[in-house]
Amino acid sequence: MPRGTPRLLPRLTALVVAFLAVLVVLPLCRLVLVVWQEGRADIAPMAGSDGLRTAVWHTVALAAAVTLAAVPIGVTMALVLRRSDLPGRPFWQVAVLVPVLVPDFVLGYSWTQAYARAGFTDTLLGLRWAGIQGPLGVWLVLVVNAAPLVYLVVAVGLAARTEPDLERAARVSGAGPATTLLTVTLRLALPGVAAAAVLVFVLTLGTFAIPQVLGAPAGFSTVTTRIYANLSLGGDPTSFIEAITLALLLVIVAAVCVAPADALLAPRLRAVRGADTQGIPALPGRRAVRRAEAFGLAGYLFLTVALPLTALVLSSVTRALGLPPTPGNWTLAHFREVLTPRTFQALGRSLGLAVVAATVLVLLGALVAVIERARSGRAAATLITLTLVLPGSTLAVGLLITYGRWLSGTLTLILLAYLAKLWAFAHRPIAGALDRLPPDEMHASRASGARALTAVRTVALRPLAPALLGAWLVCFLSALHEVTMSSLLYGPGTETFAVVVLNSQELGRIGPTAALSVVLSLLVTVPAVLLFLAVGRLRPRPSRPPEHLPLEVARVG
Amino acid sequence: MSAEPALEVTDLVVSYDGTTALDRVTLSVRRGQVLALLGPSGSGKSTLLHAVAGFLVPAAGTVRLGGTTVAGDGRPVPPERRDLAMVFQNYALWPHLTALDTVAYPARRSGAGRAHARTEALEILERLRIAGLAGRKPAELSGGEQQRVGLARALARRPSLYLFDEPTAHLDTHVRGVFLAELVARQRDTGAAAVYATHDAEEALGLADQVALLHEGRLLQTGTPQQVYDQPADLFAARLSGPASVITAPDHDGGELLVRPGWARLGGPLKGELRAVWFRGPHSDYLVAGPLGELLIREPGPPQHEIGARVGWSLLRSWPLP
Repeated sequence: MPRGTPRLLPRLTALVVAFLAVLVVLPLCRLVLVVWQEGRADIAPMAGSDGLRTAVWHTVALAAAVTLAAVPIGVTMALVLRRSDLPGRPFWQVAVLVPVLVPDFVLGYSWTQAYARAGFTDTLLGLRWAGIQGPLGVWLVLVVNAAPLVYLVVAVGLAARTEPDLERAARVSGAGPATTLLTVTLRLALPGVAAAAVLVFVLTLGTFAIPQVLGAPAGFSTVTTRIYANLSLGGDPTSFIEAITLALLLVIVAAVCVAPADALLAPRLRAVRGADTQGIPALPGRRAVRRAEAFGLAGYLFLTVALPLTALVLSSVTRALGLPPTPGNWTLAHFREVLTPRTFQALGRSLGLAVVAATVLVLLGALVAVIERARSGRAAATLITLTLVLPGSTLAVGLLITYGRWLSGTLTLILLAYLAKLWAFAHRPIAGALDRLPPDEMHASRASGARALTAVRTVALRPLAPALLGAWLVCFLSALHEVTMSSLLYGPGTETFAVVVLNSQELGRIGPTAALSVVLSLLVTVPAVLLFLAVGRLRPRPSRPPEHLPLEVARVG
Repeated sequence: MSAEPALEVTDLVVSYDGTTALDRVTLSVRRGQVLALLGPSGSGKSTLLHAVAGFLVPAAGTVRLGGTTVAGDGRPVPPERRDLAMVFQNYALWPHLTALDTVAYPARRSGAGRAHARTEALEILERLRIAGLAGRKPAELSGGEQQRVGLARALARRPSLYLFDEPTAHLDTHVRGVFLAELVARQRDTGAAAVYATHDAEEALGLADQVALLHEGRLLQTGTPQQVYDQPADLFAARLSGPASVITAPDHDGGELLVRPGWARLGGPLKGELRAVWFRGPHSDYLVAGPLGELLIREPGPPQHEIGARVGWSLLRSWPLP
């Protein structure tokens, strides 16, 4: 491993610590301080208020319910997609990730276009489902959105830990397929499953867009939507203090729920060794079973993703609400209406922000990956991993009260928020790739006469390229998707495109919102697909563990 | 006891997406016999074992265990219902189970209660002299210990046929011999048949009743270890089954002769020059170059001659290559 010169490493570590202080530690301290100083008198009555308690209860219950449903679905996906004899496997492997690629609030909105009153199924078949706008709808869409995440984490764990021979040994010891699944496969996947559950739980605690789009109109409030309401609607100091208190409460809830789980899991997860992420089926299965599995997958994806997104596209081109989405009623008027110079400005801002954020984040992520190889840098790296638990709303409020005096409503503040929120997301894939780089390859390079930097450039960079590019892609997409923090931090003339879409959704302009959502989805999907292909081509030799698109791809909100 | 062979493989064909991994392989193993599958890596040894175990479905041909067709006739019998056990090259021990629970696993699957299965497992571990490791998980065991647990797990299954897939490949040399002796002794105790895959000729010749030579998915030759060593079917088979030199026949008929290292002696009418000498401990190997070609001669004791010395030699026996 590149050790750096003795003097360089402490400097890099100091740099990381400084960044960490500015982006995370100071804002959090400021939160605590403000609540302590200004809120002491107000907090007691506020903490007793029904609205606040309901919001906290909703948030925790929702996170638990989403975790309970998303984990079995994601585990099933991982088990089914592991089978190389699954008909159409390469297609399904990409298709299940679509809910992660499409921004979550676009997915949520597309469900209303598909299943709500005057939606697709209502117009065509007279089938509608009123509950979509409410807790049940929020829960369902969050589950659909979280399942691919569970799939990714569990699939990586399965591939790394279950060598096919372990299952073969069970079969040849007399265990049938079901017993083998229970006593060996799932048992070995358990740490991955637990990690996925913790991840989903934490991300759901901090999720904002879907509760806002589907829950808020029905009066279903969570901590994040309440913070948003307090900051964007209520102008009085009390609601400001309440927002700050909620932001602090959210991170405390997250920490309390996650700390025990993380303490249990962290050592085991770190030991995961790289392996062929494809996973090899130990035994052939029955073709009929495989076909049924593919069928089930197709049905699930059709109902949860394909139909809603189709409905979204159709409502973006259909002249008016309630008209059947037939070609006779098609028009591009909605697109003409929304694609104004202001929209293009927002689009440009979003792209610029995302590119800058992703580039800086890859540098920061790589920096941490390098410093944590020395003991002095390990604590900083651990702190950065812990920021995964920080809900976006908390970070945004903290940054706002710390730097708002100078930066309120500027793109700089939004950029700082992105950097703080996504740092861990950039760090993890790079650190993982660095861990898997066989040290002997670097040793061989040095022994062949290369200096440290030359060795990095000639030997390490190429195998790390997919991880670097993957990290860039994750950050870029996440920044484009981001609304939780952007919607709290934007000011006049600094709306990001995602905020424009969200505001349009709240105004209830169906056709234009659908058109904007389609534009945003394309904006996200096209570079994602292109870069995905690039990452695939950069993938070195087949023996090296492929960089799976890092786990926490989208649900940053 | 029926007279049916423990294992009978007929015209077995296995292909992986387009490439043929096994091409019409036919062989059989009688009860109590050990068949060594000898071949270089990629020759299809593991594939053959996997087809016998039921881990893959052959494209054609049949597999019969104790007279019962398990593949090739209707739906293949799944591995858990085939009367066999397997020891894997990479041990394949479950990381979450202790040695005791690993060895108790087969008994549990055949319906025994936990306590009973554990008692039985402990007996087997005692027989292998590793009862002290019963509470350990694979990560806390050395390679040799892990493979003993793997063997104990196979013994716990009490099968009629053992499949050994290069079980010593990952073991250190000094552990290897001890483990191999143990394995053969235990398997012979049970009276069951065994198929032993290996790329090590010495191992194969030393433990097997029958040796089958595999090359690129085809069976080159089957026979007793001595037949395979003394009368190999061709040059490849000769090289596979041990050190071999090929020289021109001295009687001027232009044919080629296979000479094993012990089939020639230093001293004699034939002339040559010493190209290389290796001290091997109990014996020394001499590479002699002469008008008939180069050949390896093995003599007991330390080296007697310097490199470059002119030596005489004599041919004791040889095998004409086809």
